[in-house]
Formats: sequence, structure tokens, C-alpha cells
Amino acid sequence: MSTKSKQQSKAERAARAQALMREQQRRERNRNVMVVGAVVAAIVLIVGVLFYVQSTRDRSGLAATEVPGNLTGDYSVTIGQSSAPRTIKLYEDFQCPICAEFEASTSAQVDAAIAAGRVKVEYHLVSFLDPRSANAYSSRALNAAAVVLDTSGPQVFLKFHNLLFQHQPAEGTAGPTDAQLIAYAVQSGASRQAVSGPITDNVYHQWVLNTADRMSKDGVNGTPTVYIDGQEQDPTDAPAAAQAVLTAVR
Amino acid sequence: MKQWVGLLCRAVLAAVWLSAGVLKFSDAAGTVRATRAFRLLPESLVPAVGHLLPVLELVIGACLLLGLLTRAMAVATALLMVLFTFGIASAWARGLEIQCGCFGGGGNVKIDATPGYIRDILRDLGLLMLSAWLVWRPRTWLSLDSLLFRPLERFEDVDEEQAAVQG
Repeated sequence: MSTKSKQQSKAERAARAQALMREQQRRERNRNVMVVGAVVAAIVLIVGVLFYVQSTRDRSGLAATEVPGNLTGDYSVTIGQSSAPRTIKLYEDFQCPICAEFEASTSAQVDAAIAAGRVKVEYHLVSFLDPRSANAYSSRALNAAAVVLDTSGPQVFLKFHNLLFQHQPAEGTAGPTDAQLIAYAVQSGASRQAVSGPITDNVYHQWVLNTADRMSKDGVNGTPTVYIDGQEQDPTDAPAAAQAVLTAVR
Repeated sequence: MKQWVGLLCRAVLAAVWLSAGVLKFSDAAGTVRATRAFRLLPESLVPAVGHLLPVLELVIGACLLLGLLTRAMAVATALLMVLFTFGIASAWARGLEIQCGCFGGGGNVKIDATPGYIRDILRDLGLLMLSAWLVWRPRTWLSLDSLLFRPLERFEDVDEEQAAVQG
């Protein structure tokens, strides 16, 4: 064999080896593309299923079949004479501790000013703090308040509202049971017979659920949010808002 | 090498995504409200984004925990961190007084907004750096990627050899 043909066969072997290697690489790449494709398809499927689950789980904003009477807005009740010179608008959750502090420092003066015709108050009671309660107190309390408003009118509602804030459960604990809520309603002047069923049956649950959605769409992101004559008070400074309310109702 | 650094990055990012995702997923309506509170998206998109975000967080978190498609998940993480940082900075600049709702909580007002914004932005930028590491070095210890795919270096070697042969 000549050196030339030896060299040739060496080159051929090298070329064959290279072709084999390329073929192996090609197969490996194809396999990787298929593995990635399968994994991506599985991920997309899981995302789609979970997204569907989450969309159907969120029932806020659905039409409420039961809506309490005596409301003055879709989700609010205004208490006081329409001729009153000052208007206060409040967003409150019965489980919100800062709301309870706000109420403790203002409710006596506000009630007196309402009675004297100096102010009217637009109460937007909302419920979004069930996660901070061991027994969904936020939503049950609001349902009970809606029942009291529906059956007994705004004045009894206001007494019940004040009573609930005076007896607010600490965050993370179990709040008053339905039986206790009924007792508070009766104490405020409601008829036990009228309120017992709807409080126990949580009749306004969808309306209650929608209050938080509406608040958010109103551009209000927390409680208490206080407006005096349409002017929003600093939401990060509840004591200052309480002081401004006391000045306004004087 | 430095595969243990990548493992650490994956563990931290997975923990953050999974905890944030679980908290958001468990309160669907609250997450929608938190999304709305930023006032960046049209109302028609708000519910869909609020429902999709926790799902993405859970899935990205799970993939990072398993080390599955690490580089793609790190890129997704980095993109989301840039979006979140933009959203928070924008809310801050517009004087909105909201919580980011990053770990659930529905975008409620907080007592002292400004330090909260700074903290949230710094956290997101830190997480962005961890994900950048994984984009750069996606091969990590204890990952499904290393079971499913050949080590990347061997591919790179082959590519170089091939380039040398062809060149």
C-alpha cells in the first residue's frame, strides 16, 4: 500500500467518524426538542387548567339575587337629613381594627350631628377581611347588618353598626357567632323573629361578596376610607381623618 | 461549575414564588383587587391578569424547585420582576398609597407607604439578580434538567469542534 492511499483511508475514517458524530448530535438535538416540547405542552396545559379553576372560583361581582332593602345606593346607605350641610362618606369593614378606633373616637359626635341635622353620612360597609377571621366574621357581620337594615331601617342599622364596632373581635380570632349577632340585632331594636332566619342563612352572601369588588372599582383600596364633602382624607392617617370628621360635625 | 450557587438561587426563587403564589391563589378576589389597585391595566383585563398571575407564580415556582427548564423559568422570573418593579415604582410615583399585594392581601392601604415601596423594589431587584445568575448558569445540582438533557458543556464543546472542522 502506498503512503498516499494510507493517508486517504485515514482521511476517510476521520470523515466517517465525523459523520457519525454529526448524526448522533442531530438525534440528540431532535430528542431534546421533543422533550422540551412535551414539557412545555404539559406546563401550558397545567396553567390553562389552574387559570380556569381560579376564574370559576372567584364569584365576586356575580349578580346578587338577594339585595337588602332601605339602601340608598347599590352598596351604601345614607343616614341623616338630605338638607344637612355636611356630607361624610365612609368605607368600613366590621373586622377592620383601625375602623373600630375611628368609630370609637367619632361615632358619638357623628350620631349627635346626624340627629341635629348637621351632617349626613353615606355608609359603605364592605367585607374583605374574612382571611383575618377564624370564622368569616367580616362577611357574616355585614350580612347581619344588611338584614337589620332591611328589616328595621337605617336608625336601627346605625345602632347595630356601632354595637358591632364596640365588640369587634381581635384579628385572627373567632368573632361573634350568628346567635350572638342576632342578640346584638335585638339589642339594637330589631325583631328577633325577623332577623334570625336571614342572619343564620347568610341570605345576602353574594351582595356582601360584591361590596369589596365595588369598593375596589370605586378606587378605594382599604378601610377606613373617609371623605368629607367629597374630599378624600389621607388613607394612611386615620387619627387625622377622625379629627377632621370631629371638626366637620361640630 | 458553581452548580451549588444555582441550586441556592433556585431554592430561594422557588420559595418566594410558591409562597406568593399560594397566598394569591387562595384569595382570588383579593388578588384581582390588588391588581386593580395599581390602576395600570384596563378594567377588561384586570380579572384575567389577577387570576393568571398566581397560576404563573405557582408553575414557575414548581419548575424552579424541580430544576425543570431552568433557563426559561429564570427568564420568565426576570421579566416578571422587571414588570413588578415598574408597577411598584409607577404606583409610588403617582402617589398611590397601596400595598403591592406581592404576597396576597388585596392591595390594602398601609400605614407608611414609602418605605414599603422601597422594600418591595429592593426585594424584586434582588430576586432579579438571582434569576440573572440562572439565565447565565442554568445547569444546577439536583435538577430535572440534568437528568433530561446532556450537560451543556459537552454541547458547547461539540459546537466548537464542529466550528473548527468547518472553518
